Amino acid sequence: MHELSLVGAVVESLEEMAMEKGWKKVTKVTLRIGRMRQVIPEVMIFSFSVVTEGTIMEGSSLEILEVPLMSRCSFCGEEWEGLSFQCPRCGSDQVETVSGMEMDLESVEVEE
Amino acid sequence: MPRRIAIQRSVMAADEKIAEKIRKDLSKRGVLMLNLIGSPGSGKTSLLEWTLKDTLFRSVVLEGDVATSRDAERIARTGTPVVQINTRGGCHLEANLVEKALEGLEMDGVDVVFVENVGNLVCPAEFDLGEDHKVALCSVPEGPDKPLKYPHLFMRAEAVLLTKVDLLELLGFDRDLFWKDVKELNPRAERLEVSALRGDGMSDWVSLVQSWVRAKRP
Ligand SMILES: Nc1nc2c(ncn2[C@@H]2O[C@H](COP(=O)(O)OP(=O)(O)OP(=O)(O)O)[C@@H](O)[C@H]2O)c(=O)[nH]1
Ligand SMILES: [Mg+2]
Ligand SMILES: [Zn+2]
Ligand SMILES: [Zn+2]
Repeated sequence: MHELSLVGAVVESLEEMAMEKGWKKVTKVTLRIGRMRQVIPEVMIFSFSVVTEGTIMEGSSLEILEVPLMSRCSFCGEEWEGLSFQCPRCGSDQVETVSGMEMDLESVEVEE
Repeated sequence: MPRRIAIQRSVMAADEKIAEKIRKDLSKRGVLMLNLIGSPGSGKTSLLEWTLKDTLFRSVVLEGDVATSRDAERIARTGTPVVQINTRGGCHLEANLVEKALEGLEMDGVDVVFVENVGNLVCPAEFDLGEDHKVALCSVPEGPDKPLKYPHLFMRAEAVLLTKVDLLELLGFDRDLFWKDVKELNPRAERLEVSALRGDGMSDWVSLVQSWVRAKRP
């Protein structure tokens, strides 16, 4: 649903970087997106192609690496993938999220 | 030939920084901020209208909607200062919008900032606005399967409110199933049942807000 606003943020930071670093063209963008961001990759890729029209990113490909949601028990150290708020090993509810909220620019391919 | 450049930078960083700043500023003033999240029509504005009758704490309200200032007008009728934020199509509030809205409000003597997010059970849950707590609302007519279908919000909420409980019997709502799923997703969340029509549970809700207000006071 909110893919468009996320894409907007990506494009904005890339435009800033391109200005700073003097890139002529961006040919590929790779993002790491956590499962908790509830992003649909296809929608993201489509939004990206629309938003980048007329920018130095026009026609570039967007790659999305999905990061699983990982939780860790602060009590016994058990780590697991998924949604539970209770440790499957010791039953403690001292659970922290270790990954799954990422929205990171991993890398770009550019022509200079 | 294109050259690959590693970046490793968070895209959300700018907005997350703004959220952190809001949280710090409000904490310094001892002001509580609550982010109310639920589907369109789940009863967010109605809950606020009821809550604002209470004069035990002083409130301001930020109303997030895609369009119109209808909800802000409803809140204004209670005599509470309110700012309408229109997202113009955006399906969730972001910290930068909240920051701007807060600039227009007198914060001296305020205890609570209530933020009514855009009606949406999905992405408002992942955007930090600088709030102390997210409050999830789910209304009886939506059905008891919502927590499992939209787990992200329920997992992060400090309190889950089942609203419109005056309709429980009429709709044959399976409240045991609903609360069992909520408990499984988030055993720590406060669980309340309310009706803005009859007033059920409102004193419990107001007490909960009051306890949060007290915890924020320097
Ligand atoms: N029966 C019953 N109806 C309610 C209750 N609370 C709200 N409603 C009705 O539900 C409808 C939606 O309520 P709102 O408070 O406007 O819902 P909202 O979540 O603010 O809606 P949006 O801002 O559009 O997302 C209105 O017609 C209310 O009168 C309740 O406790 N019981
Ligand atoms: Mg409303
Ligand atoms: Zn454990
Ligand atoms: Zn959204």
